[in-house]
Amino acid sequence: MGTTFDRRLFVVWLVLVGITLAYVGLDHSLGGGTTLSASAAVTVGAIGLALVKVRIIMREFMEVRHAPPLLRRLTDLLVVVMAIAMIGAYAAGRTLG
Amino acid sequence: MTSAGGGTAVAAATGPATGSGHVPGQPDMWFFVVFESLIFTSYFCVYLFHRARHEGAFLQGQSHLVLWLGVLDTVVLLTSSWAVARCVQHARAGRHRPALRAAVLTAACGLAFLALKLVEWARLIHMGRTFTSSEFFQFYFFLTGIHLVHLLIGFVVLGVLVRRLSDRERPSQQAVETCATYWHTVDFFWVLIFALLYVVR
Repeated sequence: MGTTFDRRLFVVWLVLVGITLAYVGLDHSLGGGTTLSASAAVTVGAIGLALVKVRIIMREFMEVRHAPPLLRRLTDLLVVVMAIAMIGAYAAGRTLG
Repeated sequence: MTSAGGGTAVAAATGPATGSGHVPGQPDMWFFVVFESLIFTSYFCVYLFHRARHEGAFLQGQSHLVLWLGVLDTVVLLTSSWAVARCVQHARAGRHRPALRAAVLTAACGLAFLALKLVEWARLIHMGRTFTSSEFFQFYFFLTGIHLVHLLIGFVVLGVLVRRLSDRERPSQQAVETCATYWHTVDFFWVLIFALLYVVR
């Protein structure tokens, strides 16, 4: 009983760990940790991937996918607000230099 | 809004009752989640704004961090989140012992994270990187510190969770879900902090 649901949680965990390890691949493709150079693409990509993970945690681990539409929309809105605010702040900083 | 109230409610299925929808835990906890998320977002925005203006200095500070330690921290906390999600499912199905075991696993992962963080702080301080070393390390110690405070509160929450699960007379699924919601929030804050301190360039 419930084994398929358990498997679902495990798959979610695997996906989240997979995305985390993808960051390491990204880092290696950029030459590792000794000579770091600025990259807007990496920054925006890292923020985007982190927010994907946050949404997965909310939907699956926090069981928001079973929640009333109001909570589902509220959490989605929260992720969108976080994305706009963080990327906006980063872009503003770069523009002002 | 519907909630599981104080009952064991759905014993047969491991997922919550569907249909009109089920708010996991107390609705009040969700106000806390949204409020705290907005507070943390404001910290992240200040950090990203400063970082974008002084990229060279921030990259130089960041080069002292060990990416693998951050990855390990993240995997450990993700595992704790998975364990507490399992705990909620077990409790809902009336499986008290497995639920307790899952709660203990959650706390063990939390302690492992705490130990890893202390090791990382000790390593950096030993290298002479402290709160006042640079702007990057000011943000690093502030963000990881405020997160650690939330983690410590999480241990109190897990204590409440274990106590609730041990009380077989009046098991409260809503209380179990409320505790789990708090713990997941600590987890996803770290997911964001990890990306912002260790990964962004």
